[in-house]
Amino acid sequence: MTTLTRVSNFGLFGNVLRATILGPVLIIALWEVAARALSDAFVLAAPSAIVIYLIEHAGLMARALGVTLANAGAGFVIGNFAAIVLATLATVWPKSDAVIRGLALVIFCLPLVATGPILRVVFGPGPWPQIVLAALAVYYTTLIPLLVGLRALPSAWLDLVCSYGRGRFAALLHVRAMAALPYLVSGLQISAPAAFLGAMVGEFTGAERGMGVLTIRALRGMNIEMTWALATVATSVCVIWYLAIGWLAQRFMQEEPPVILATPALPATQGPYRTALLNGLMITGALLFVWWAGLELLGLNSFFAKGPWDVVTALFLAPDATANRDTLIHALGETAVFLVPGYLVGLAAGALLAMLVVLVPAVAGTAMPLAIALRSIPIITTAPLVVLMLGRGALGTVVLVAIMVFFPTFVACLQGLRQAPGQIIDVFDSYAAGPFEKLRKVRIPAMLPAFFAAARINVPASVLAVTVVEWLATGNGIGNVMALSASLSDYDMLWSSVALVSILSALGYAAVGLLERMVLRTYAPEQLQ
Amino acid sequence: MSVPVVCSRVAKTFRGGVEAVRPLDLSFAAGQTTTLVGPSGCGKSTLLRMIAGLEAPSAGDITIDGQPPSETLRTAGLSVAFQDPSLLPWRSVRKNIELALDLARRPRNARDIDQLIRLVGLDGFADTRPAALSGGMRQRAAIARALATKPALLLLDEPFGAVDELTRQQLANDLPGIWEASGTTTILVTHSVSEAVMLSDRVVVLSRRPAQIVADIPVPLPRPRRVELARQPAFAELVDTIFTALAQGMADAQPKAAQ
Repeated sequence: MTTLTRVSNFGLFGNVLRATILGPVLIIALWEVAARALSDAFVLAAPSAIVIYLIEHAGLMARALGVTLANAGAGFVIGNFAAIVLATLATVWPKSDAVIRGLALVIFCLPLVATGPILRVVFGPGPWPQIVLAALAVYYTTLIPLLVGLRALPSAWLDLVCSYGRGRFAALLHVRAMAALPYLVSGLQISAPAAFLGAMVGEFTGAERGMGVLTIRALRGMNIEMTWALATVATSVCVIWYLAIGWLAQRFMQEEPPVILATPALPATQGPYRTALLNGLMITGALLFVWWAGLELLGLNSFFAKGPWDVVTALFLAPDATANRDTLIHALGETAVFLVPGYLVGLAAGALLAMLVVLVPAVAGTAMPLAIALRSIPIITTAPLVVLMLGRGALGTVVLVAIMVFFPTFVACLQGLRQAPGQIIDVFDSYAAGPFEKLRKVRIPAMLPAFFAAARINVPASVLAVTVVEWLATGNGIGNVMALSASLSDYDMLWSSVALVSILSALGYAAVGLLERMVLRTYAPEQLQ
Repeated sequence: MSVPVVCSRVAKTFRGGVEAVRPLDLSFAAGQTTTLVGPSGCGKSTLLRMIAGLEAPSAGDITIDGQPPSETLRTAGLSVAFQDPSLLPWRSVRKNIELALDLARRPRNARDIDQLIRLVGLDGFADTRPAALSGGMRQRAAIARALATKPALLLLDEPFGAVDELTRQQLANDLPGIWEASGTTTILVTHSVSEAVMLSDRVVVLSRRPAQIVADIPVPLPRPRRVELARQPAFAELVDTIFTALAQGMADAQPKAAQ
C-alpha cells in the first residue's frame, strides 16, 4: 500500500512539475527554434530577441507601462465602484433590477472602437478617454457575478434578519455583503485584464503615451520585436494582476472565489412573455432617456454629440439616408462573414478541448489553473501578433475572434464538465460504464449551462475582437466604417454604427439566452428557478 | 416576561392556489410550551412562519399579547430557530450570537453571551466557525442565538431536524430547562412524537394539508423531565394517544372515494 501511495504521489508531483516548469520551458524552446527558422518571414520574434529588446528599451517600456497601468487602474476603480453601486441598488430596490441589467448590457455592448473616438472628441487629448474605456470594459464583468452573489444565499438567512424586525438594508449590511464577497473577488479578477484592454484601446484612438500608442507604432513600422515585446509585457502584467487579486483575496477570506459560470440571463428573456415585453420596453425607454439626457446634461456640442433622433434622421429621413443604410448594411455583412465563423469555431474548440481534457484525467488537474490564467490574457493586446502571423486577410480575423471566444468557453466548459454530480458518476461506475459513455450521458448535460453562459457573454466579446481587427488591420467591415467616419468627422455615421452594433450585440445576447432557456428547460430546470 | 398568542380564523392559500392552512382557531398560553405535530407538508411550518410575521395570513388575525406580529417584530420581541441552523459561515459562534443582538438593537454583554454559550454546552467553541462544528453543535449555537435576545416568544421550527438520534435525545433533555427558566412562550414544530411529549405542556395534532386541528392534548407530566421518563407508562400512553390522533388526521383527509 505504502509503495503504491508513494508512486502515485510521485506521479502527481511529476505532473505538476511537467505542467508548471517543463511545459513552459518546452514551449519557449520550440518558440525560439521556430522563430530562428522563420527569421526571414518577419512574423515571429524569438524569446531571446524579445528579452534583448526589453532590456535595450527598458526606459521606454517602463514609461509606457506606467502610463497605461495608471489609466487602467483608474478605470478599474471607477468601473468596479460603479458596478458595486449598481448591484447594491438592484438588490435593495428589486424593481430596478431589470432596467439596470438591461441598460448595463447595452452599454457593455457599445463597441469600444467607436466609443473611443467619440470620447476622444469629448475629453480632448488627456487620459480620460482611456480611463472611461477601461471603466466601461470592467463594470459588467463585476456587476453580473455581484448580482448573483448578493442573491445566492439561503432564504433562512434573510428570514433571520426579518425575524428581528429588520429590513432590506440590515440584510444587505449583515448578510448579503459578506455572502457576495467571493463573487466580487471573482468579478475583480476577470476585470483586471479587461481594464488593461480598455486602456489600450483608448490609447489606440490617439493618446500621446502608453502601451497602446507604442503598439500602433510597432504595427505601422512592421517592428516585429517591438510588437512581440509589447504583447509579452501586456500579457505578463495582466496575469500578475489577476493572480495578485486572487492572492490578496485568499489572505483575507476562507472561501475560494467561485468560478462564475451561469451568469443570469437578461431579464427580458425570463418570465412570461408579457413581463418580458414590458421589461424590453422599459429597458428601451430607459436607454433612450439616458442617451438623450446624457448629451443634454453634459451640454455637448451637437456637431459631434448625436442624440437618438439624429440617428433616426441619418438612417431614415435625411436625403442621403438610403446611402447611409446601404453603407452600414454592406459593412455589417462583411463583418458577419468573419464574426459568425470565428464565434462558432471558438465555441466548438473550447467545448471540444474541454471534453478531451476530461477524458485524459492526468491532464485535467493541471489544465484548469492554466486555462484560468490564460483567460486573463487580454486577447486584443495580442491582436497585432495574430495579424502578423496570419496576415491581414480573412483567416487572421476569424482566428482572432475564435481565440477571443475560445478561452472563456474552455474554462467554463471544463468547470461544467467537472461539476457532474459525483453520485451519478458513481452509479455509472457501478455499471462499469466507459469514459465516453459517462461523458455523453452525464458530463455533457452537466456542462450545458456553463457552455451557454459562456456563449452568451462571448457575443459582445467577439464583436469587440472583430471590430478591433477590422480597425487596426483589415480595413473592412463595420470596424472600418467606424474608424473611417471617426477620422472624417462623419459623426452621424459614427453614432449610427455605434447604436446599430450595440443593439445587434444585445439582441444576439438575448437570442443566445432564449436558446439557452430552451435547452436548460430539459437539462437543468433548477437553473430557471 | 411571557406573552399569549391567539390565532383566530387564520388561513393561508399560496399564490398558485395551494391551500396550506384552512381557517383555524388556536391560542397559546403565556409561558407554556406547545408543540405542533402533523404529517410532512401539512402546513405547520407555514403556521409558525405566520406567527413569526414572516408570512402574512390570507385570512384571519394573529395577535401576540394583543398586538399584531409586526408590532412584536418591530420591538424584536420574538426569536425563530430554523430547521437549518442558518449560522453565518464567516462568523464564529460568539459573533453569530452577537449578530442577533445587533439585529435586535440590543447591547452586547460579553458575560451574558459567555453564559449562554456555557448553557448550551459549547464552552471552548465560542471562537469556532460553524464549518468546524458538528451538526448538533450548530443546532445548539442556533438555539443560543435565538435565546440571546431574551425573547418573550420563542418559535422553533424542527430545530433538531438534521441531528442524529443520540444528539437529539440529549438536546431534548438539556434544552427545556433553558427556556423554562426564562418563562418564555414557546411554540415548537416537530415530526417526532416522543420529542413532543418530552418537551411540551401541550401537543396540538394537525391533519394533512390543508392543516386542521385533529386533537389538542395536554401533557400533565411533572418537570423537570429526564430521559428515563420515556420508559414510564404515562409517557407511553400519551405517545399512543398522539399517534392515534395523527393516524386519524391522515384518514380524515383521504378522499371519500378511496375509503
